[in-house]
Amino acid sequence: MSDKYVTCEVVTPERVLYSGNVKMVVAPGLEGEVGILPLHAPMVAVLGVGELRLKLDEDKQEYIAIHKGYIQVLEDKVIILVNFAEFASEIDIKRAKEAKERTTKEIAEAQKKGEDYYKAQIDLEKAENRIRISKRI
Amino acid sequence: MARTREIKRRIKSIDNTKQITRTMEMVAGAKIRKSQERIENSRPYTTKMMEVLANLSSYVKAGKHPLLEVHEKQERVYVLSITSNRGLCGAFNTNIIRKTESILEREKQADREILLSVAGQKGINYFKYCGYELLSEYTEIGDSPKFEDAREIAAKIMEMYINHEVDKVLIVFNHFKSVMDQRPIEYNILPIEKDMAEGEKERVIRDDYIFEPSPEKVLYELLPTYVETLVYRTLMESVASEHGARRTAMKAASDNAVEMIGQLTMTFNRARQAQITQEISEIVGGAEALK
Repeated sequence: MSDKYVTCEVVTPERVLYSGNVKMVVAPGLEGEVGILPLHAPMVAVLGVGELRLKLDEDKQEYIAIHKGYIQVLEDKVIILVNFAEFASEIDIKRAKEAKERTTKEIAEAQKKGEDYYKAQIDLEKAENRIRISKRI
Repeated sequence: MARTREIKRRIKSIDNTKQITRTMEMVAGAKIRKSQERIENSRPYTTKMMEVLANLSSYVKAGKHPLLEVHEKQERVYVLSITSNRGLCGAFNTNIIRKTESILEREKQADREILLSVAGQKGINYFKYCGYELLSEYTEIGDSPKFEDAREIAAKIMEMYINHEVDKVLIVFNHFKSVMDQRPIEYNILPIEKDMAEGEKERVIRDDYIFEPSPEKVLYELLPTYVETLVYRTLMESVASEHGARRTAMKAASDNAVEMIGQLTMTFNRARQAQITQEISEIVGGAEALK
């Protein structure tokens, strides 16, 4: 492969979201963002909830909302496997906002009752992430 | 007169049924294609994941993870049986139910407590009717299983396994061998078998990977996802099999209808002819009497 571009694939269990050459990949690692340029050393990293940026060209970027997965870097290829991924342009803002409201309520209720609200917390994080990324376009 | 009219009505009714079964056959045919595509779409994900797991297992002594650990006491078994929500698909559900029952019998003889969960309305109805206690019921899995559905099921299984509430988890589902051939199989989902996590042996295992944050952490994040993917796969295969079975059943029904219509048409023609002959002989007889 050329040393200017790297082949990148974004795969979810339901579909292959993106496949093509990119200049740079920035992924949300567990301990901060991970940036991958062409000719990166082989690596496997766990990804959290956040924003995946694919730099297609100097002035063109693709924003993708992802929840949980991992990134695998080979010599000339970056494979991103995630449970859930959505392009910024695909995000249904109304649904994301509803999800945010609902989970906020759930957390408040659980706190009142002293129950565990771990799952609601994650859902809230996901909803907020989607709202944030939908504003990128 | 009465006889021909009755036959005609039967032909009409069978013809109606034939139209319905033909349509269902065609719909199922289209759905098979879709669900096969879906299986294809998930393949890259599964194979890539296997690759990473294979690489990881050479780094981490994996025995420590609670999902890989084989429990010492084998006292409780969790069985998840995957059926369909709708009927008219031949022996699809019966096969699964029979297979599940034989497994339940086997585990009972081994003196293990059984926790049964069923996906699909058909199976739920049957096992409830037989008086089984169902731990969970899943009915939302329609024609296109979502990864979320699999997640929900997998999360429950893993939680129970890690808390030592169960010692073994089995899934019974229809394996999609081909469009014509589906067979019920049982699949051992937990504990994760080690050779499986290790993947294919021939694959080149590289040893210069960087792991972020650490190999252990990556493995721990990966194993639950692996289980979720397995469950997702069984759901998809089951759906594809359902459509396959339905198409076969509906094709048989349509063919039978065609045959029946053929036979009835013949009987109808015979009856009509007999009637005409009788009328002629009556007229001739009447004319003869007038002479």
